[in-house]
Amino acid sequence: MTDFRIPKPKFFTTTKKGHLTLLASLQSISTRENYELKSDLNSEYRDRRKDAIKKVIANMTVGKDVSGLFPDVLKNMQTEDLEQKKLVYLYLMNYAKTQPELVILAVNTFVKDTDDGNPLIRALAIRTMGCIRVEKIIDYLCEPLRKCLKDENPYVRKTAAICVAKLYDLNPALATDNGFVATLQDMVSDSNPMVVANAITALAEINEASETKDIFVINITTLNKLLVALNECTEWGRIAILTALAEYRPVDEKEAEHIIERVVPQFQHVNGSVVLAGIKVVILYMRVIKTEELIRQLVKKMAPPLVTLLSSVPEVQYVALRNINLILQKRPDILQHEIRVFFCKYNDPLYVKLEKLEIMIKLANDKNVDQLLSELKEYASEVDVDFVRKSVRAIGQCAIKIEESSERCINVLLDLINSSNTMSDMANSKVNYVVQEAIVVIKDIFRKYPRKYEGIIPTLCKNLDALDEPEAKASLIWIIGEYAEKIDNANELLESFLETFREENVQVQLQLITATVKVFLKKPQKSRDIVQQVLQIATTDCDNPDIRDRAYVYWRLLSTDPQAAKAVVLSEKPAISVENQSISGPLLDELINHISTLASVYHKPPESFLGRGTFGADAVQRRAIEEQEEESRESPIQEQVKNENLLDLDFSDTSATPTSANPPSAVSPFSESTSTNIDDLLGLFGNDTKFGTTANSSTTPAGSSATTQSNALNDLVSLI
Amino acid sequence: MFSRALGRLWGEKEVRILILGLDGAGKTTILYRFQIGEVVTTIPTIGFNVETVTYKNIKFQVWDLGGQTSIRPYWRCYYANTDAVIYVVDSVDRDRINTAREELHAMLEEEELRESALLVFANKQDMDGAMSVTEVSDSLRLDTLKNRQWTIYKTSAVKGDGLTEGLDW
Repeated sequence: MTDFRIPKPKFFTTTKKGHLTLLASLQSISTRENYELKSDLNSEYRDRRKDAIKKVIANMTVGKDVSGLFPDVLKNMQTEDLEQKKLVYLYLMNYAKTQPELVILAVNTFVKDTDDGNPLIRALAIRTMGCIRVEKIIDYLCEPLRKCLKDENPYVRKTAAICVAKLYDLNPALATDNGFVATLQDMVSDSNPMVVANAITALAEINEASETKDIFVINITTLNKLLVALNECTEWGRIAILTALAEYRPVDEKEAEHIIERVVPQFQHVNGSVVLAGIKVVILYMRVIKTEELIRQLVKKMAPPLVTLLSSVPEVQYVALRNINLILQKRPDILQHEIRVFFCKYNDPLYVKLEKLEIMIKLANDKNVDQLLSELKEYASEVDVDFVRKSVRAIGQCAIKIEESSERCINVLLDLINSSNTMSDMANSKVNYVVQEAIVVIKDIFRKYPRKYEGIIPTLCKNLDALDEPEAKASLIWIIGEYAEKIDNANELLESFLETFREENVQVQLQLITATVKVFLKKPQKSRDIVQQVLQIATTDCDNPDIRDRAYVYWRLLSTDPQAAKAVVLSEKPAISVENQSISGPLLDELINHISTLASVYHKPPESFLGRGTFGADAVQRRAIEEQEEESRESPIQEQVKNENLLDLDFSDTSATPTSANPPSAVSPFSESTSTNIDDLLGLFGNDTKFGTTANSSTTPAGSSATTQSNALNDLVSLI
Repeated sequence: MFSRALGRLWGEKEVRILILGLDGAGKTTILYRFQIGEVVTTIPTIGFNVETVTYKNIKFQVWDLGGQTSIRPYWRCYYANTDAVIYVVDSVDRDRINTAREELHAMLEEEELRESALLVFANKQDMDGAMSVTEVSDSLRLDTLKNRQWTIYKTSAVKGDGLTEGLDW
């Protein structure tokens, strides 16, 4: 009967051969094994039962279903052996949901254990009870919980505090009626800081879940308790307290100052989350503080902890960087002298590098720009295409942000173009994405500083043939059009594109039309032919309504009043600038409230991704199904009508739920492209749906559209 | 390791005893009377208690299961490997003696309990108006039991009367 063979039983039979074989073998033996385990769990021998429990837990952790053994495992719950008890509790937490009826059998043991002499067991019991979350037993949970909340041992009390939050989640009325919430509120004044911290965590959670939101309000007394506990509890507790403090609005400047004084030491904490939580409190309280001097000091104090965060592991760095990005938008002066720490290391992961680039641009000023440029130039010669492109782009942003540096930036870009040209000559391969990116960037610089760097145009034009990316091509064509009077052979350059006009990308086609018109207006004699040619092709040979309409607009403009055309097409363009704030003010303020949470990493408010996860996906799916059912009920003729309706009403959704808005059977490829067109047009004309339907009919007569368009012409052209 | 293996061989085999009966019959009190020899204040058992009792060098693993209607269906989970069943009857509760009988007979039908002995405690003999052993035995129709080793004792868990006699048996 007794088992001598395995002195030390192996609970995990992990084979090195691979997971699949392991899983397969597990499944095949599972029924037999479960039967054996069952009899072992009921064995007359203590050791055997314990071994069996260990095996069950081992099976559980590799994902095998051992829920069938529930009553047998449960029977081993009452034991003096702490190890065994913990294992059984672990099992219970995992499988209670699958056997809600049987959980009742565990209640008596829980109740007994919460009376145990050992505080560890008391806490373990109350914690497990809270984790079980089965409606049937919560009534029995109340008495033990009441006892544990008043336990003499702080470890038990702090565990019980969290349990109240769990109970509240399951049954708010029960938790309130039994006075547990009130007890929690008292526990904020507990003598033990850990208990205080957990009580705060629980209260904050309950407060958020409650409808009235008045369960946890900080007043003067609790405030002092929090501040005292802050320095004495664990990192979790500190985060909880700091988060609670961030919710609090200090009554006046003096109080804010006082709290900040107590919070600032947290900047030294080794845990990044504590540091960020502390910084959040200080940033939020700075709204109340009026003294400039004090604000300056605080800003100074915040820099070192933020810098320290950057020496952690990449994942933490990324979180820190995303948060710093936010903080910088709120307080641009905070890391002024620290740009060096954001320089990329060669072994940084890409996501960290890209984030650092963004921050570097935000920190760039006329003092550090030289350093930054040489750094960016280095990056531009690295191997990772994405990173190189972003670096080149960053150089351009420097130029646009800091006027004094624009010349140096241009030089750097030219250097890059030249060196990568020689490189690609040597290697006879296309390393020219640097060139392409540089040209896109230079276009922006030209836009910002018109007529300042015309001298480099010839160099750029030399690269015309090498360009194959639409954006780069379009950029260069834009430059040619813009500076046609300085480029002798502008019309020839453009002409060379005409042969392939039909094959070009839409973006390039649009630019070509505009550039040709510009050239024509500047040098009418030389380019009469090509402008005719371009407009001819665009209006007759192109399917894309964007292209066609733009060509029509130009054509009519040119034929009716060339002077007006000049005024419109060659008008001064509004200046562009690099926004230091990429997030709008109100959103930024909201995100600052969420520093050190997922929201601050996503740079999105929590509502946009919280709670809607599965629910949102479900809703979208359900809607798609409903739409499809509707479709199938309607006759083809109605479909046509509906199709138009959809196009008018549902633009924003066409991309989000393509299946529902554009059933492939109903929409021809042509009308699909119309929808985007209308989308654009509607954007232009302030959602004039009536016009949208007119344009929708594929045979828009040039005349009628022109009359409608004339008043909106300025908008249209200035956009071009 | 060796001594542990030896221990398995000789000493540690436990005799499993179930204490069953309707709610409020006094099962938990009896269990702790066995174990620590004292009367403890009990609350209704939602679930079970299990204690190891050593009596005359034999280790008894004594299971005390809750008697509430809601828990009775789960008694069956505990039947495996049971050597003896102690069925506790509240001798004062004449109203529910029939329910007690039904539960007892239903339980004894179970295959897993075919081999186990039955010991009936006519409990609460210390109270006024308690039924006598014969009365209880008749009400439970113990005489109809076939192929079963059984006996009945009058007990009082509070006073401790009759319990050791039962175990001796």
